[in-house]
Amino acid sequence: MAERPQIPAGARNLGRDDTGDSPAARLARLRDGDTVTARISRFDPTTDTAPHFETYRVPYTKWMRVLEVLTHVSEELGGDLAHRWFCANRMCGTCAVRVNGREVLACWEPVEPEMTIEPLRNAPVVRDLVIDRSGYEQRVLGLTPWLERREPYRGFPEPLTHPAMAAADKALDCISCMCCFSACPVVGLGDETNFAGPAPLVQLARVALDPRDGIDRGRIALERGAVFDCVSCYKCEEVCPVSIPIVTGAIEPLKALAFKSLPRKSRHARVFLAIVRSRGRIDPSALILGVQRLAALRHPLRILKLWRRGKIDPLKTLFGFRLPDIKQVRQVFAAVRGEPR
Amino acid sequence: MRRLAAEAVVIGGGAAGTFAALELRRRGVKPLILCKGLVGKSGASIFAGNLVVPGRLLGNTEQQARDTAEFLIRMHNHFLIDQHYARAAGEWIEREYYPELERAGLYLRRDKRGAIVTNDGPVRCMAAHSQGESGVLFMDLRRKQVLQAGIPWLEETAVTALLTGAGGAIAGVMALDLARGEVVAIESRAVILATGYADRFYPRSTATREMSADGIAMAWRAGVELMNLEIQWWHTSDVRFPLSWQRTQVYPNPIIGSSHAARLYNGDGEMFFDQEADAPVAMGPYTIQLKRLAKQVLAGKARFDGGYYSGFTHVAPGAVTAYTDYAKAFAALGKSVAADTLETACSAHYRQGGIVVDPATMATRVPGLYVAGGVGGHSNGLIAPVTYDGMLAAETVANDLPRLKLVALPEDKATAEEARLLGLRRPLSGNGVTPAQVKRRLRALMGEKMGFFKDAAGMAAALAEVTRLRDELLPAMGLTNVTPRLNYAWLDAIDVANMLEVAALTIRGALHRTESRGPFYRTDFPDMDNENWLVKNILTPTPNGAVDFRTEPYDLPFFKPDFVRRPSLELDW
Repeated sequence: MAERPQIPAGARNLGRDDTGDSPAARLARLRDGDTVTARISRFDPTTDTAPHFETYRVPYTKWMRVLEVLTHVSEELGGDLAHRWFCANRMCGTCAVRVNGREVLACWEPVEPEMTIEPLRNAPVVRDLVIDRSGYEQRVLGLTPWLERREPYRGFPEPLTHPAMAAADKALDCISCMCCFSACPVVGLGDETNFAGPAPLVQLARVALDPRDGIDRGRIALERGAVFDCVSCYKCEEVCPVSIPIVTGAIEPLKALAFKSLPRKSRHARVFLAIVRSRGRIDPSALILGVQRLAALRHPLRILKLWRRGKIDPLKTLFGFRLPDIKQVRQVFAAVRGEPR
Repeated sequence: MRRLAAEAVVIGGGAAGTFAALELRRRGVKPLILCKGLVGKSGASIFAGNLVVPGRLLGNTEQQARDTAEFLIRMHNHFLIDQHYARAAGEWIEREYYPELERAGLYLRRDKRGAIVTNDGPVRCMAAHSQGESGVLFMDLRRKQVLQAGIPWLEETAVTALLTGAGGAIAGVMALDLARGEVVAIESRAVILATGYADRFYPRSTATREMSADGIAMAWRAGVELMNLEIQWWHTSDVRFPLSWQRTQVYPNPIIGSSHAARLYNGDGEMFFDQEADAPVAMGPYTIQLKRLAKQVLAGKARFDGGYYSGFTHVAPGAVTAYTDYAKAFAALGKSVAADTLETACSAHYRQGGIVVDPATMATRVPGLYVAGGVGGHSNGLIAPVTYDGMLAAETVANDLPRLKLVALPEDKATAEEARLLGLRRPLSGNGVTPAQVKRRLRALMGEKMGFFKDAAGMAAALAEVTRLRDELLPAMGLTNVTPRLNYAWLDAIDVANMLEVAALTIRGALHRTESRGPFYRTDFPDMDNENWLVKNILTPTPNGAVDFRTEPYDLPFFKPDFVRRPSLELDW
């Protein structure tokens, strides 16, 4: 019966109880009569050259949310703080901010005794905590995330089962709050990539994984969404307030569609596969070289940094490191491809 | 002042407004949407949780079709609805609405075998994707449809005045572009007003932030009549804490895929409402639940603002989470949906009344002004009928446009409105008040005097106090920051004048209706009086600024009450 698992669930919530980060533990941290201290980023581009912080002290009320702190500051403390919200019910997705460095919905997030509150990243600030959503909206629009039917509509109710919709179902929870868009380090690279970003790809996945849809969504994911630029860091999943498995449930399936549709252009996937096939596991420097080719050498300092931190090991790459039991790996490949052993 | 022109202007980016714009475009008219918030994100349409299965849809029996219609007319609207309109809307919803949404891609929740999941009761509902989230999906779809159709909009732009020209006909609208802090004048001879059913008049409200009675106030100033403003609904089981969750519900709607619903308990832990047993036909048991709560309040076992509880402890937890988001508040608070109840409180919900329209055309008595959705007085703002309204209004506008005369935008009125708006962005003086403080005073007053239990003396005192707030506080209002850019306090200053005006009209309407009906209750007139008050309670503006009252009976072709007069608190509707 329990087809929709109850939130919190999933890997991103593991350990929250141990670190005092569970909902119950966080609510127990403050009591009536306590004071919440909020350091809030203020910025009016018409008068200020740069953002600055102002600190406010707000009386705690039972189970208080971040939104209540913002409203109190703007209405009671003469702060005239600009912050956007409409529903206060985790539905409109317009109140997202960063609290202590993490993207949250102000309406849904419990307060902390001390908070630094900043606007989302990867979008221009209109004033204080309000960002300009139009760049994000343009990216969504560019992916044409509306249903293009494979076959003409057959009348209400159309034949459709839940198992057929299951792949698209989680993406339907997306409220376009832009938390993941702000947290995504690849979107943060700006013009260096055409990556559409996590939320726009979730919007694309809604229709791409819908059995009724009939156009080549893999091509759109690749050519307009640059889906292979996702580095699978899972930052997006970590911050998603409605617990969408963004990497595993939206971006990975889109990568699979892209590879299926345009295998030659899906360079990242091909190189990835080739490395695993020849070496038994992924080799980051070989992957970067294989995907970016000579362009990878344009940033020597970045290469040194990655090397020093142990993210890449060009020596291993050079000397053709491979797992000792590589034969087994190749048998797996053969089995998957249906090749004779 | 920025100047624009449009063939037709749609004010509002919810279900009624977006559909009106789409329908106008399909009919070859070029609309411009003006939305105070963000299209498809602000406004109450995102809250549409359940979708009624009307008529014979999805295998409804003749009895279910009749129960559904009766539920909507009797329990939901207390007979204050045009039954011909209700029938036409119902037929359109069955024939056009759900097919249109599904064709566009809306996913109505299926089970494994492909049947659309509904509840087991006599009146059935379904959900898009997940019960409780339907409206979010609806409005996301509408937003994308509007973008796809290339319909232009101005978002975060608050319309502040409807301008009338020669012959009292609509000439255009004035608006404030909030992000830029710029006044905009838009010339148009047809305006569809779709600003919704709620206005945040009370300390707790289910409305979204930007809803503030501005639609009703602007239309009143343009010359419309208003009706049944006093019929205020209450949402009886919203979570009490955190204080901002005024629309986060533990609501006794029947859970789809089951025969259960949340139960309500008083402060002593005694159950006082069980939808399944107490009101099986009440798919949305607003009024009966409210009356049951009122009795608990009288017995000292609950308060309207808390001290009672709602939960699903009698339901297998899997049934709550299978098709609904009803467990989300429990999860966020670290509570168990299987073991815990949450303290709940009443929030002001729909305003049933509104602008007087012709329910066959959505036209008002002001030439060029049309209404769609909850801001109208003809219906109550459910998402499906308001969409029907949007269709109807667009159809009428498309038909009327060729014979609506172009009316020159009256420059004197436009300049005066610009001056008024700029004047509200003035710095706070030493003994002044902020708009937020005035809003809070109004809300406290309405909560105290215009809640469920009220009488003539309390309402007269409330009217005097609202008048005093208007006369004394509005002139003393100023802003702590006068930046033109995205200045929500400036918007509050514009809103609060509208709110005070409509609050006063609402109280006058309430004083005039000398009975109790549905969620409207007077301790000095506790009976429902079908002999005298099964009527539209209409407020008419007079040339000297006073208010005239008149009443108009409803035609009752399909359903009518079977008694003349009864104590309202004893009725289940």
